[in-house]
Amino acid sequence: MSLTRRSLLAIAGAGALAACAPSTPAPPAVEDPLKDDGVKDFSFTAWSLNEASTKDALQSMVDRYAGGSGGKITTASYPYNDYLNQVLLQIRGGTLTGAMQVDVAWLATLAATGRLADLGSIAGKADYTEAALSIGKVQGKQYGIPWTSAGIGLIANKDLLSQAGVTNPPKTITEFESALRALKALGNGVVPWAAMTKVDQLKDFIAWMWAFGSPVVKDGRIVVGDDASVEALTWYKKLYDEKLIAPDVNRFDARALFAQGKVGFYEDAIGGRGAVVKAATDKSLGDKLMPVSRPMRSSGVKPVNLAWGHALVVLQGTGAAAASRFVTAVTGTAAYNSEWFAKTGLPPTTKSALDTAAVKNDAFTTAFTGAIGGFVAADPFWIYPKFAQIESALANGVQAALIGKASPKDALAEARTQMEALTA
Amino acid sequence: MTVITKRITIAVIGVFAFGPVYWLLVTALTPNEDVFRFPPRLWPSRVTWEHFANLADNPALARYLTNSVIVASLTAVLTVMVSAYTAYSFSKFRYRGRRSLMYLILASQMFPQALLLITLYLIFSASGLLNTYLALILSFTTFTLPLCVWMLKGFFDTVPDELLEAAKVDGAGQLSAIHRILLPVSLPGLIATGLFAFIRGWNDFIFALTLAGPEKQTLPPGLVNTYLGEFQAAWPDLMAASLVVSLPVVIGFVILQRYLVAGLVSGAVKG
Repeated sequence: MSLTRRSLLAIAGAGALAACAPSTPAPPAVEDPLKDDGVKDFSFTAWSLNEASTKDALQSMVDRYAGGSGGKITTASYPYNDYLNQVLLQIRGGTLTGAMQVDVAWLATLAATGRLADLGSIAGKADYTEAALSIGKVQGKQYGIPWTSAGIGLIANKDLLSQAGVTNPPKTITEFESALRALKALGNGVVPWAAMTKVDQLKDFIAWMWAFGSPVVKDGRIVVGDDASVEALTWYKKLYDEKLIAPDVNRFDARALFAQGKVGFYEDAIGGRGAVVKAATDKSLGDKLMPVSRPMRSSGVKPVNLAWGHALVVLQGTGAAAASRFVTAVTGTAAYNSEWFAKTGLPPTTKSALDTAAVKNDAFTTAFTGAIGGFVAADPFWIYPKFAQIESALANGVQAALIGKASPKDALAEARTQMEALTA
Repeated sequence: MTVITKRITIAVIGVFAFGPVYWLLVTALTPNEDVFRFPPRLWPSRVTWEHFANLADNPALARYLTNSVIVASLTAVLTVMVSAYTAYSFSKFRYRGRRSLMYLILASQMFPQALLLITLYLIFSASGLLNTYLALILSFTTFTLPLCVWMLKGFFDTVPDELLEAAKVDGAGQLSAIHRILLPVSLPGLIATGLFAFIRGWNDFIFALTLAGPEKQTLPPGLVNTYLGEFQAAWPDLMAASLVVSLPVVIGFVILQRYLVAGLVSGAVKG
C-alpha cells in the first residue's frame, strides 16, 4: 500500500481528533469511600475562599479546624461562574480529592461523575433539618451535606412601596401587578420590578410558571409549554412591554439598581443582602429590605420558591474520611455554625443552630425564612446532569418571547423540544 | 480623502480604541454607590482613590503579576525561538511536504481551544505538569506558534537569499548564518512575534485558570477570582487593579511599539 501526502495528512488529522477525545474511564466501585485510611491531610475547594464577604471567615475556620485535627488542609478556589466546569474537569482527570463546596444545583451533574462519596452515614451526625438534607440528595443518595439553605424569592424596598401607597405585600398576581403599576407611577426612574430578563438568570422564571399552576416537570416529563406556563410567559411579556420590568437585567444588575433605591422588587437569595447593602448610597437600606412571599395566581395557594443552597461534598480517594469529618464539623457543630452565620449572614442548616438567639433575633433572616425559605422546592431540572443546558434552552425561549421573536406558546414549545432532547 | 474625513475617521477609531480604557479609568475612580447610577456619567461626580488604596490589602495581586510576567515572557521567548527556526526552514528551503506542513501548522489554529483545553489538561495531568509554569508556557506556545511561524516566514522571505549565501561563501555555517546574519536583520520581526506571543500569554483566562493551580495563577483568573463571585461584583476594584497591573506592560509596549509596527509591516510586504 502506498502512502500519499494526502493520506498522511488524513491519518494525522484523524490522530489529532482522537487525541482530543477526553478519556472517561468508568469509575471503580468503592465499597466504603469514607473508611478511615489514616490520612489526615486533605484538600478543600471552595469559591467562598475567595469572595470578599466570606474568605476571611472561611479561611479562619479552615485554619482552626486544621490546627485541631493535626492535619494539613490544602485550599483551592475558582470563580463561582467557572467553578463547576473547573471542578468537573479535575474530577474527570482524577486530580481532585477531599472536600468541596458546591451549589446544590450542581449536585446531579457532579454525582454523574461517580466520584462523589455517599455521605448518608454522616448525615445523622448533626440535627440537619429534613428540608436541608433533601436538597443534598440525588436519586435518594446523600451526596451533599447542607451548609446553608434558603430560597430565591422576592425582596421589596419597604420605603418605595410605602411611597407608592402599597401598604401590604401583594399576595396574588393581580395585587402584584397593581403594586408594580403604583411603583411605576412614582416616576423618577423607578424600576418597579428588576426581574431577570438576561438569559443567564432566567431560571427564575421557573418559579413564576409554578405560581401560575404549571408543574413544569410532571411524572418525569417536562411539561413546559402547557397552558399555565404559556399564561405565565404571556404575563411576564406583558409586564416587559409595559416597562414594569426592565430589559437586560441579571442578578448583579438588579442588586446594583436596588442598592440605588430605584427598584421596588427584585429576586435574590438570602446572601444577596450583603452585596446590596454594601453598594447602597442609603446606609439604612438594609432596614428597608422586605422579603415578600411569592404572589400566586389565586389567593390561598401555598407559594413556592426555587430552592437555593450550598452543600459540602466529599470526593472518593485519599483523605476522604478526614474530609468527611471536616464536613461534619463545619456544617453541623455549633461553634462553626454560629461563626459562619455571624460573619456571612448565611443561615445554618441544623435545627439547633436555627434555634439560637443569634439566628432568631436577626430580623431579615427570620423574615426571609418566614416568607421565602420555608416555601421552597428544588429546581425540577437539577436532577438532570445537563441541567445548565436545559435551563439555557428555557431561558432562550423566554427571551425570544420577551423580545417578540416568537409568541409565548411557540417559544415554550420550541424550548420544550430542546429541553427534552437534553434529557435523553 | 479630505482632511476632515481623515480626522473624523481617526476620531471614530480613537473612540473605539480608547473608549473602553477611558471607561475603565472612570469606573476605577467612581465610588461604589455611583458605579451603576443611571444615566451613566462620563466623569464621576466625586472622584475616589479608595479602589486603588484597596489594592494594598490584597498581596495576592503581586503574586498574580509576577506569575503573569514569568509566563508571558517565557512564552514569548520560547515562541520566538521555535518559530524562528521553523520559519527559516519554510522560507529558505524547498523540500517535499514543505507546503503541506505549513498548512498543517496553520490548521492547528482551527481547533476550538476549549477542545484542546481538555486534551492538554489530561496530558499535563498524566505527565505531572499540572499547576506548573511549564504547563502554561507550553500550552500558550502551542497556540501562538502557528501564527508566529507564518509571520516570521513572511519576514524572512524579505531577507535576500544572497545575503545568507554571501555569509556562507565567507565560511559561515548554517547556524552561524542564521544567528549572525538572518536574526539580527530580522530583529523587528522577532520583536513583533515576541510581543504577539507575550500578549497571548498575558491575556489568557481559561487555560491559566485550569492549568495553573492556585499558586501559579496569572492575572486574568486571579483578578476574576478576587473581585467577581456569587455575591460580589467589585467592578471599581477590578478596574483599579487592571489599570495598575497593566501599567508595566503598557510602558514596555510604548518602548517597543516601533519594532512592532516595523515588524508587522515588513512581514506583510512579501509573503
